[in-house]
Amino acid sequence: MGKLSDALAVLDKPAVLAAVQEGIEAGTDPLQLVEEARLGLEAVGREFDKGNYFLMELLRAAQIFKDAVALLTPKIKERYGSAASRGTVVIGTVAGDVHDLGKNIVRDLLQCNGFEVIDLGVDVPAARFVEAIRQHRPKVVGMSALLSAAVTQVGRTVEAIEEAGLRDQVRLIVGGGIVGEVKRNMLRVDHATTNANEGISVILDWFGREQA
Amino acid sequence: MKERLSCYERLELAWNLQEADRVPVAPVNCYIIPYLAGISIRDMFYDPDKLIAATIKAREMLGGGDNIDPNITTLNHLSMFGRAGWDQATLDWRIWDDFPPKGNLPSLFEKALIEDYDDVMERGFAPLLYSKNGAQAIFTRSIDEFLYYEFEYPKVYAAAWRRFVEEQEVPLLMGGRACHPLDMLQYYRGIANLTQDIFEQPEKVKAMCDWLVEYETTMAMRDAMIMGAGEVPGAEVIFFVNGGPPGMSPRIFDEFYWPTAKKMIDIFVTRGFKVHCHWDNDLTPHLETIKHMADGLPKGKLLLDLEKTDMKRAKEVLGDRICIFGNVPSAMLVYGTPEEVDAYCRKLIEECAPGGGFILSTECETPWDSRPENVRAIVQAAEKYGWY
Repeated sequence: MGKLSDALAVLDKPAVLAAVQEGIEAGTDPLQLVEEARLGLEAVGREFDKGNYFLMELLRAAQIFKDAVALLTPKIKERYGSAASRGTVVIGTVAGDVHDLGKNIVRDLLQCNGFEVIDLGVDVPAARFVEAIRQHRPKVVGMSALLSAAVTQVGRTVEAIEEAGLRDQVRLIVGGGIVGEVKRNMLRVDHATTNANEGISVILDWFGREQA
Repeated sequence: MKERLSCYERLELAWNLQEADRVPVAPVNCYIIPYLAGISIRDMFYDPDKLIAATIKAREMLGGGDNIDPNITTLNHLSMFGRAGWDQATLDWRIWDDFPPKGNLPSLFEKALIEDYDDVMERGFAPLLYSKNGAQAIFTRSIDEFLYYEFEYPKVYAAAWRRFVEEQEVPLLMGGRACHPLDMLQYYRGIANLTQDIFEQPEKVKAMCDWLVEYETTMAMRDAMIMGAGEVPGAEVIFFVNGGPPGMSPRIFDEFYWPTAKKMIDIFVTRGFKVHCHWDNDLTPHLETIKHMADGLPKGKLLLDLEKTDMKRAKEVLGDRICIFGNVPSAMLVYGTPEEVDAYCRKLIEECAPGGGFILSTECETPWDSRPENVRAIVQAAEKYGWY
């Protein structure tokens, strides 16, 4: 870990931005700087898993990372034309539920990890998920659900994806307060969790395995 | 077996950390009441007679319980400003007529209403009211209507609940509601902005929390007085809502949440009220701080209502200081079986009830779509396993 990742690991925003600026001025490859910042983000994730950091620290780390990337984006475009994406993830809070905190944290963390995220927003009908899969061809679809009634909506969304013949083209992950506590066979998805960091690890794993 | 006590006497002993005749049981039944009784959420908010008739009907279906939630969010919602995070003058709360799938539960659409903490601290609520992002319902309601809901309707509402308590002999869960200022800021700034503020302008966040204390405590005590504090059993309880933003580390909890929480608790208790702290999320990492909640206060004035916290650990740390309340999981009530609920309640009673100071309840509140037989299983578990 270098100066940049160390600063991000301790959530020191001025030091992160200074290290990025220093790197830019020294002519360092901007993608290398992004990668270094990502290592810092991973360190934050490990501290979260160990119980030393909590959700607010995770959110803060993503904010700092995004600020760092905002400084680097013009340089990446200058050198490479556009930033390479790790892949596409469609994400949304299911119909009947308007909570977006968890969804937004996962969206931000996915973006920090180099994914293109199509955020469908909140209270998303099943048909809109289907339409987004057809349009954006994601490898992963994330559904967020906090309310107990939203579990039924997750089921309806999965059903709609199955009926559209798209189920074997995507991995489905569901996250949120209630869904991590119900029995897995009620949801018919590939993974369910209440933990944002765990969700990111699973998605990274899926992409990694498929790339290998 | 001890002589059978009234609901209120039973709850009082638990608050005082003493064993009653049996463990009090008090599922927080809120939106399940209109759902089971077949009235709309709008009626629940605007028609106290319909709400009370629905409450009586739903209590029969759910097996009763030692108190009842009088849904003070109604008063918060219809009032003028900033009341416990529920007013419709500034915050974009949307009330549907129907339950899902046609409608929804009342939902807050979060927007960043506060842009400058100093401006709010200097000018009061004006910057919130005139925020370009505000709900601005005040401009669509007549002054007559606003004045009625601020000053007259609370008396009508309180009279209806007073009749309920007298006729049913069931005390109220609360008389007034207060929100922790960090929760209010979560509503007024949004969680992402608030997180940024905590790291980038911590002193401003603390000053704003301090600024909100007087307003929030005064409004809650005013509602409790109107609901009959001192005369109507349970109306003397201030329901002190939520645990601030989810996922606070011990540093953030101790530095930003706790000092204001303790200050508000002290204000309520020294002015004669009791405090029901309804603090969501998993507070297990903060129990060592929370155990100081009752410091300097008389016994029997505090209750801690826990959601995801480890109840056994809470009993170990807080058992000789604060009454604890909780926490049958929502998912179990909706998707589990009465047998699973029964087993969970039995374990809770075994771990938390010895010596008194425990009230068997739900985590947060009973989901509206809970299976009624699962809610009944909570009440029945207290009757089966809860006798001292």
